[in-house]
Amino acid sequence: MWFAGFSSTSNMETKQLARRVVMPGEKINALKNCADSSKIILGPGLRLEDEDICVAKSGILRFREPNVYWVDSHQTRYVPVKGETVIGIITQKVGDTFRVDIGGSEQASLSFLSFEGATKRNRPDVKVGDIVYCRLLVANKDMEPEVVCIDGQGRSSGMGVIRNGGFLVRTSLSLVRKILNADCVLMKCLGNKIPFEAAVGMNGRVWVKARSNKETIAVANAILASEYMTNEEIKNMCQRLADALDGF
Amino acid sequence: MEISDGSCSTASMSCTLGDLSQPDGSASLTHGNTQVAAAVYGPCEVRLSKEFPDRATIEVIHKPKVGLPRCEDKLRETLLRSIFETAALTALHPRSSIQIIIQEIEDQGGLLATSINAACLALLDASISMKFLVAAVTAKVKHDGSVLLLPQEGSTEKDSLGIITFVFREPDKSVVCSFTSVGTLSLQQRNQCLSLCQEACDTVFKFYRECLENKFSKIK
Amino acid sequence: MADAFRCALPKEYYRQFIERDVRPDGRELGEFRPTVLNIGSISTAEGSAIVKLGNTSVICGVKAELAEPKAETPQEGYLVPNVELSALCSSQFRPGPPGEQAQVLSQLMVNIIKNFHSVPLEDLCVVAGKLVWVLYIDLICLDYGGNLIDACVLALTAALKNTALPSISVEEETQKINADITKHNMLQLACTPISASFAIFDNTILLVDPTSEEEALSTGTVTVVTDGEKIFEMDKSGGSQITSEQRQMCFRRAFQRHREGIKLIEDTMSSVDR
Repeated sequence: MWFAGFSSTSNMETKQLARRVVMPGEKINALKNCADSSKIILGPGLRLEDEDICVAKSGILRFREPNVYWVDSHQTRYVPVKGETVIGIITQKVGDTFRVDIGGSEQASLSFLSFEGATKRNRPDVKVGDIVYCRLLVANKDMEPEVVCIDGQGRSSGMGVIRNGGFLVRTSLSLVRKILNADCVLMKCLGNKIPFEAAVGMNGRVWVKARSNKETIAVANAILASEYMTNEEIKNMCQRLADALDGF
Repeated sequence: MEISDGSCSTASMSCTLGDLSQPDGSASLTHGNTQVAAAVYGPCEVRLSKEFPDRATIEVIHKPKVGLPRCEDKLRETLLRSIFETAALTALHPRSSIQIIIQEIEDQGGLLATSINAACLALLDASISMKFLVAAVTAKVKHDGSVLLLPQEGSTEKDSLGIITFVFREPDKSVVCSFTSVGTLSLQQRNQCLSLCQEACDTVFKFYRECLENKFSKIK
Repeated sequence: MADAFRCALPKEYYRQFIERDVRPDGRELGEFRPTVLNIGSISTAEGSAIVKLGNTSVICGVKAELAEPKAETPQEGYLVPNVELSALCSSQFRPGPPGEQAQVLSQLMVNIIKNFHSVPLEDLCVVAGKLVWVLYIDLICLDYGGNLIDACVLALTAALKNTALPSISVEEETQKINADITKHNMLQLACTPISASFAIFDNTILLVDPTSEEEALSTGTVTVVTDGEKIFEMDKSGGSQITSEQRQMCFRRAFQRHREGIKLIEDTMSSVDR
C-alpha cells in the first residue's frame, strides 16, 4: 500500500531526514523547509501540534515524492482504516448482521446483504467460524467498523467467504505491506516453485492454500520467514524450499 | 544490546524488545541488578464499565516477584497510570483499552523507576502513539548527605536518609511525576536530587533511542 | 441557571471563577477549608480523632494489642493502618473488598508512618523478642468531600498523639501478663507529619485542598507531607505544565499548613485536658 521508494532527484536534506529512526515527541520542523511544493502531507505516525510537526509513533521516517512523509512502524495490532481489505472471522450472528473479528479493538459488523447477489429471499451461506475476505466501509475511531464483501457496483471482486480449507497465518502489519509491495518478489518466486492460492488481509492475516497440506504449511512458513529478508535472500529461500519438497 | 555510561553514577542498562510473542509489545529491562518485564496489549477491547467515550482507558497491573499483589503494587499502578494517561495519545483510540502489565523479576533498588522505563519501552515496541517519552531516575540520599543514583552496584534501598524517584518528559525535562519512596528529605536535599536526576535522564532517553535503532536495524 | 451551567459545563463554570482568583465556594486558590478536630471521643479505643475538613469527615481509631514481634525486628512493635472507603461516604464506592483508592490510601499511610518514623517503634516493645504492642489504626471515611489524603493524615497524627497505652508487667515465674489500666503511658511521637494536597486545574493552576468536584475536573494532583523540616512528596501531575516556582510554592504552603495543623492539634488537646 505504501511505496518506500526514492526518487533520485529528491534533495539531499530530505534523504538525510528520511530513513532514520524517530521517537515519539520529536519535533521535525525541518520537513517544512524541504518540500518542493507549498504543502506537505503527513501520513501515519506524524501529527501537527500547534504549528510543530511531532512524531507520534516510533519507527523509520519515510518520504515519497513529491511531499508525502510518514513513519514506518513495526506494529502487530491492527487499527481499522477505511478502504483496506482485511480477512475477518465471523464470531456471531445477531439478527441480520454478523459480528466479524478483524483484529482491532472492536468487532466489525457485516450485513448479510453485503454479499454479491444477496437479497432478503436469497440469503448467503455464511456460518459462525467462517473466514471472509472483505473491505472496510466505515472505519474511524468514533464508530464501530463496518465491512462489506461487495464493491461499489455490487460485484464481489474476489471478496466473500473463503472456503475449502487452507491455512490462516497471523503476521505483523509490516510483513503484509511488504508482501503487497510491487517490489517484493516473494509471491512470484514462491508461486513459480509451488503453485498456491492466497488472500492477504491488511490486518496482518494471510490465508494460503496449496495442493497438499505439506505444501500449504511450507508456503505459510515461507511467508512468515520472509519478514526481514531481502529479495535475494527470498529467492534463495524459495529455491531451497522447492528442493526440500522435491526431495521427499 | 547494552550501553554503559562513562560516569560512575549510573549503572548499566540492558534491554530486549519484543521477545514475548502474544503481547503487542514487550520489553525486558535490566538496570544494575534490578530487572523488570513489561508487556503491552492495545488498543484492544475494554469492559463497558471502564470505557471512556473520548479516550482510551489505560489499565496497569504490577505484579510482585513473590505472592499476591499488595497495596504497594496498587500504589505503583496508580502512579504508572497517571504518567501514561498523559504520555500516550489516548484520544486516538476512544472506547478501547491499553493494558500495561509489569512483572517484577528482581528488585535491588529503583524498582519504581525501572518499571516506568520498562513500560515506556514496551509502549514503544507496541508502536502505540505517544505525545512524549518519559524517563524515570531514582536518587538516594545517604546518612552522610551524599547523593547517588540507583540502581547502583553495591548499594540498595537500605541505609538511606531518603529515596526519591523523578519522572521526566522529553525534551524540556519537566517533571511528570515524583514520589518519595523511602524516608523524607529536606527541601535542599530534594532540589539537589532533582538536578542530579535531570542530568541523568538524558542517558535514559539516549538508551531508548539505541534500543529502537537496534530493533529497526533488522528491518532496514 | 447557574446550577444548570455548572452541570453542563463544569470546567467553564470553574474557569469563570478562577479567572478572578476565587473558587465557587468562596475560597481563595490557596485557602484550606475550615478544619474541625475532635480528639479522644471513642472511649473503647486507645486513641482516636475525628477530622472534618469542609465536607470531608474521617474518623481514626487506634487499638492496641499485644503480640509477638516480627522475626526481622524483635525489638520493635509495628503499626497496621487501614483506610476504609465504604458505600456510606460516597455513591462511587460499592460494598465489597477495598477498591483501588482505599488500597492506595492505606499504602500511603503505611509509607508516611514508615518514612517519617513518627512513632519510635522501640517504644512499643514490652519484652524484647517476646511481646510487643501492635497498633491497629483504622481510618474510616464518613463523608467523601474531596482531599482525603489531608484529612486522613491529620486524623492519623492526632489519634496517635492521643494514644495512651496501659502499662504492662510480666511476672517472671508464671510468665503471666498483667495489664494495669489505671496507669497509662502516652505515646510520644518523634514528629508530627501534616499534609497539603493540591489539584491541578487546566494544566497550569494549583488549587489547595480540592473538593470532590474539583478533583474530578483536575488534570493531576500534588501531595506534600511535612514534619516542619523534611518533606515527602507524591507528585502525579502527568503532563501538566507546572513550573518549578509553583512547586516551590507548594512546599512553602505545606510548611505553613504544618504550623497550622500543629496549632490545631495542640489547641484541641489542651481543651480536652481542661
